[in-house]
Formats: sequence, C-alpha cells, structure tokens
Amino acid sequence: MAHAEAHHDDHHHPGFFTRWFCSTNHKDIGTLYLWVSMFAAIVGGLMSWYIRAELAEPGLQFISNDAEGKQFYNVLVTGHGFIMVFFVVMPAMIGGFGNWFVPLMIGAPDMAFPRMNNISFWLLVAGFLLLLTAAFIDGGPGTGWTVYPPLSSIDFHPGRAVDFGILSLHVAGASSILGAINFIVTIFNMRAPGMTIHRMPLFVWAILVTAFLLLLALPVLAGGLTMLLTDRNFGTAFFNPAEGGDPVLWQHLFWFFGHPEVYIIIIPAFGIISQIVSTFSKKPVFGYLGMAYAMAAIGVVGFVVWAHHMYTIGFNVDTRAYFTAATMVIAVPTGVKIFSWLATMWGGSIKFEVPMMYALAFIFLFVVGGVTGVTLANASADLVFHDTYYVVAHFHYVMGLAAILAMFAGWYYWIGKMSGRRYPEGLARIQFWFFVIGVNVLFFPQHFSGLAGMPRRIPDYPDAYAPYNYISSVGALITAIGTLLFFVVIWRTYASKETVEANQWGEGATTLEWHVASPAPWHTHEELPDMTGKAPAE
Amino acid sequence: MASTRTKNRRAAMALSVVVAAMVGLAFASVPLYKLFCQVTGYGGTPKIKVAAGDSVSTRQIEVRFDANVNRDMPWRFKPAQVHMTVKLGEPKLAFYRARNDSDETVTGTAVFNVTPYKVGPYFSKIDCFCFTEQTLKPGQEVDMPVEFFVDPEIFTDPNTKDVHAITLSYTFYRSEPEDSDKKAETAARPADGDSKIKG
Repeated sequence: MAHAEAHHDDHHHPGFFTRWFCSTNHKDIGTLYLWVSMFAAIVGGLMSWYIRAELAEPGLQFISNDAEGKQFYNVLVTGHGFIMVFFVVMPAMIGGFGNWFVPLMIGAPDMAFPRMNNISFWLLVAGFLLLLTAAFIDGGPGTGWTVYPPLSSIDFHPGRAVDFGILSLHVAGASSILGAINFIVTIFNMRAPGMTIHRMPLFVWAILVTAFLLLLALPVLAGGLTMLLTDRNFGTAFFNPAEGGDPVLWQHLFWFFGHPEVYIIIIPAFGIISQIVSTFSKKPVFGYLGMAYAMAAIGVVGFVVWAHHMYTIGFNVDTRAYFTAATMVIAVPTGVKIFSWLATMWGGSIKFEVPMMYALAFIFLFVVGGVTGVTLANASADLVFHDTYYVVAHFHYVMGLAAILAMFAGWYYWIGKMSGRRYPEGLARIQFWFFVIGVNVLFFPQHFSGLAGMPRRIPDYPDAYAPYNYISSVGALITAIGTLLFFVVIWRTYASKETVEANQWGEGATTLEWHVASPAPWHTHEELPDMTGKAPAE
Repeated sequence: MASTRTKNRRAAMALSVVVAAMVGLAFASVPLYKLFCQVTGYGGTPKIKVAAGDSVSTRQIEVRFDANVNRDMPWRFKPAQVHMTVKLGEPKLAFYRARNDSDETVTGTAVFNVTPYKVGPYFSKIDCFCFTEQTLKPGQEVDMPVEFFVDPEIFTDPNTKDVHAITLSYTFYRSEPEDSDKKAETAARPADGDSKIKG
C-alpha cells in the first residue's frame, strides 16, 4: 500500500497538543488508551505489591495497627480492584487494541464517530482522576470494588471518599457506553464491501460482543450507583432497611452488572488469542463460526448467572440449583473455545514467537481458572469457599492474569504494526518467563490457603497460613521484575532502529491490518478494500 | 458518504434508547423486586391476607418469636410469648411488648421476616402492628398484636414439609432519624435477608 504511505506524509502535521489532546484519529486514540492503561497498571500494581508486602508475614508490618491503618488496607484492596478492572484492562483491550485494530481489520477508514471517540477517552481520564482523588480524601473508599451497603452507606463511610468513587465509576461508565455505541455502529455500518458479519476476524467479533455487554450491563451499574448516591446524600432509602429498603437489592443490581463485566474483560482477550494462535499455527482458526457464536453465547448466558456471587444471602434450594446449573453451562462455550484453539494448533506449523508463548500461557491460566470456576459454581461448595483466598486465586487466574497475558500477547503481536519497530527478542523472552512464572508462584498457593480457610480482604492472618503467603509474596516480587522488564522492553522497542515490514509474521497473518504499512499510516483504507468472495478473515 | 452518516446516526440513536431502557430497568427493579418478594414469599417475606382460609388442619406447627431493635432505637422490645403451637390454617393472635426507655416520644416501624426463608409463602399475616408506625411516649409500655396463620399447604409442598418450627422475626427501627432531612417512611415494608442482622 505504497500510496497510503505517500499520503500520510503529505498533509497532517498537527502540533503536539492538537494531535494528542484533540485527537479524532482511531490510531492515536488507541495509543492514548494504551498509555493510560499502562500508567494505571503501575498505580494498581503498586497497590497490589503493597498488599503482598503486608501479607508476606503474619502480623502488621507496613500498615499501622489502628482503624486508620486497616482502613488504608481496605482502600488499597478497593483501589487495586477498581483500577485494574476499569482503568487497566478495559482501556487496553477495548479502548486500546479495539480502537487500533477494529477499523483496520474491517477495512474502515476510522471509527463511526471520531469525535465521540475523543470524548470517551477523556471521560476515562476524568474518571481515573476522580478515583485517585477519592483515595486521598476522608480516609478513602474502603468498600471493596463491590461497594456493598451498609458498609458503603453514609453511616460507615461518612466522608466524601465513596461519593468520589461513585462519580468516578459514573464517568468511566459513560466513557465505556459511548465507546460501546461507537464500536457497534462502526462494526455494523462501516465494514468494507464483502466483509460480511461472518467474514469478520474473531477479534472484531469479540469487540462486538463486548460492546453489547457494556451497553446492557453498565446502565444497570449506573442506576444502582445513583441509588447509592441518593441514599448517601439525599435521604432516599433504596438499600436502608430502617426505612423500607433492602441491602440485598444492591447485590442483585451490582452483580447483574458485575458478572457480565468479567466477560467484558475476558472476551476481547479471546479475540486477541484467536488471532495469535491462528497466525502462529499458519492455519485459519478451527471452527470459525463456533468460535464467534461461543463468544455470543457466553455473553448471553453471562446475564442470567449473577446470583452465583451471592449464594450466602440465603437463597432457597431451587434458586441455588438454577444458578449452579446456569453457571456450569458457561463451561460449554468456553470449552468450545479452548478445544478450538487446541484444534487450530493441531497439525499447524507452530512458531513460538513471544505473542504465541503468551497465548499458550493464557490458555493454560484460563483453564486453571476455569476449573476452579466450575468448583465455585456449586452453591453448596461456594458457601464454604465464599470470601476465601480460593475465590481470590480463581478470579485472578481466570480474568486477572488471563486478561493481562492476553494484553501482553496483543502488545507483542501488534507493536510492530503500531510503532513500526521490532521488540527486542531476547529481552521479551526473559520478560515472558519472569512474568508467567511470577504470577503462577503468586497465585497458585492461594488456592491452598483459601481451601484452608484464609479470608480475603484482611491484612493479618494466623501463623498457619504463613508459608503459602510467603511463597505468594515471593511470586509477587518475581512478577514485579517481569513488569519492570516490560517497561524496559517498551523503551528498547521505541529506541530501536530495527523496523518491520508490513506483514511482520508472514503467511499466517491474513487479516487486513497486515496489508497496510508498518507503522500503520495516519490514514488507512481510504479506498475501501474489496473483500467480496474472500474466505473468512480468520 | 452522507447515507453512511445517516445510518450511523440512526444506529447510535437506537443504541442510546437501549442504554436509557437499561437505566430505566435498573430503577424499575426496585418496585419489581419488592413485588416479587411479596408475591412469591421470597427471602422469608410473609404473605398479607384479609382473612384465613376455610381449611383448618389437625396438624400442628411450632411458631417461635424473635425481637430486635436497631441500635438507634431506645426501646425495649420483646415477644410476650417465646413460642406457641398452632393448628395449620387457624388464625392466631400473638403479642410483642415494647417499652420506650428514653425520655422523649419515639416513633418506630418494624420490619419483619420468617425463617427458614422457604416458608414465606405459607406464613400469612392478617393484621400486624408492623403494618403502621408505632409511637410510644417516654416510659410508655404497650402490647402489640400480630394476627397470623400458617397455610396447611406447607405440609404438602415437598420443599417445606420438613419444617416443624417457624421463627417470626421483627426489628424495630426509629422512624425519624436524628438528621431531620431524612424523610420518614410511613408504611412498614417487609425486609429481606440480612436486615435483622443489624438489630
């Protein structure tokens, strides 16, 4: 696409401020999202390392042994959860890779609403600043990311911190809803000729399903948060039993959003992994339609399983049976995805480039987390595991680490396209091993401490749990080295003189982004590519 | 391109309607959830009926009485009887004794449920002090009545036929909290789940 390259040097030399603050270019906005995500990851990561440092030994070492110290610990746990979910994974997966590659992959010149795209990004920044503000005033929000009343009510969090947290989520939620509308319209209306729905790359499918989940789930969170805000400040009693409300209603509203939210986090990861596994096996994805509709099925079923997060509130047997069964049903489409990835690799000409190594690590971690998920789906077992480290280990494996590994995989896969530079191969491999070994050493022992009954969100524990926690904290240190190395990799990549060609990965990489130059020029697909009669892009 | 623009705008409008509908649904869930609990007896919400049915069974069940007060409520509140044995289907009257220990007039409302939660659909109240606000002058002591019956169907439902004792629980809350900007609710409503833990 020589002509596209010629174009981008012709006009468009916006100044720094215009380019990065007033951007309407999907690639620049994608880049901004990725940088915000990386910055937020440092903040959220520092919080988690502080937690692991405190938990390395029994007793209180780093926080003071008084109400303020323990509230500070709660704020760390809350902040870590909020930041990682709303300001690290979602911005990187949807805002970052989604913005960069959805238009490229479907052959569209840009997103449907470029200026709305800019608003989405800056609302996210505003939300992040509000959350950081919340942490520094009136002792911070120590509610956990679930913000359950009565703990989050005015009686137990009398300061302004929880109000700032609520506003932060409102603003970040508005950002995501606008982004979701933008993606859906782009994918429905802006596809190149011949790029039918059933020819879209699986990453585009993933973003489409995710956008619908955002559209349906986030407004419910917004509604619930508004009720909480008016309960706290304007005398309503939605969640206050003294005046006829019910705190359990919050749990229903929160988890009606919260369960789809975990799929919002992991489905884009599915999309990234599908692209990478196919590219480095030099084969189209096995069972393309099955893969696409498995994601859609996960999205649909994800809306009717929310109460498995709240088994302990006293459901009757029939309700427990339903939510147990419905939850286990999700293992079917996720199983379809796992086996299709394996079948894609089967008989393929596999190249173990760094993105592929990350993709394989993703599949391993996701399966481990999925297995504990099926265990936890059982209401009778969950009553025992509820609020233990077993749950912590489960969700860190299945959505935390799996998502982070998919983000690394996507970064290594696409950084050549985004920056035009090659990442340092040796350093990237070292970074991979540090990170993957680190997170497993970190979280695997938490299954055992959880089974032994160690409660989550508590800064101290009996000596019996000391060995597991010590190993966990050593794992956190290894993970920290891996994280640090990643920033060295970023620096070495951008400083590198070694450029990459348009299709860095060779014949396995068939999607449209590999047909434009690297780095992708300012404007792409100004002449729409004709996909008529071509095989599914995967 | 103009047609794409129009198509995009239309699609965005339609999606915005979806967003607005979901926000509406979140708020609609508040009354719907209450209604759901009252209709199904979910979470141990007793039924409210005008009168007992005709069928009175010879079988009996034990009803236990439990009373709690919120920490802001300066009342002493106890059941007049710890438990009673009732015939299924037969309306029964029980009393709770409340005494205002403070030196000011206090109005309160009681929230209630029954455990095990699954018996909610079979436990019906005909009249109850908890349906309205109660006001006690300083030092005043009153007996408050509750008239109820247990539906004989409880022994035909396979889910509930193992139940031999039902606990009826109340928690009294102060109606006007100290900060006067909070509006008092006039009608007591059934509480679900954990509400009585606060007591």
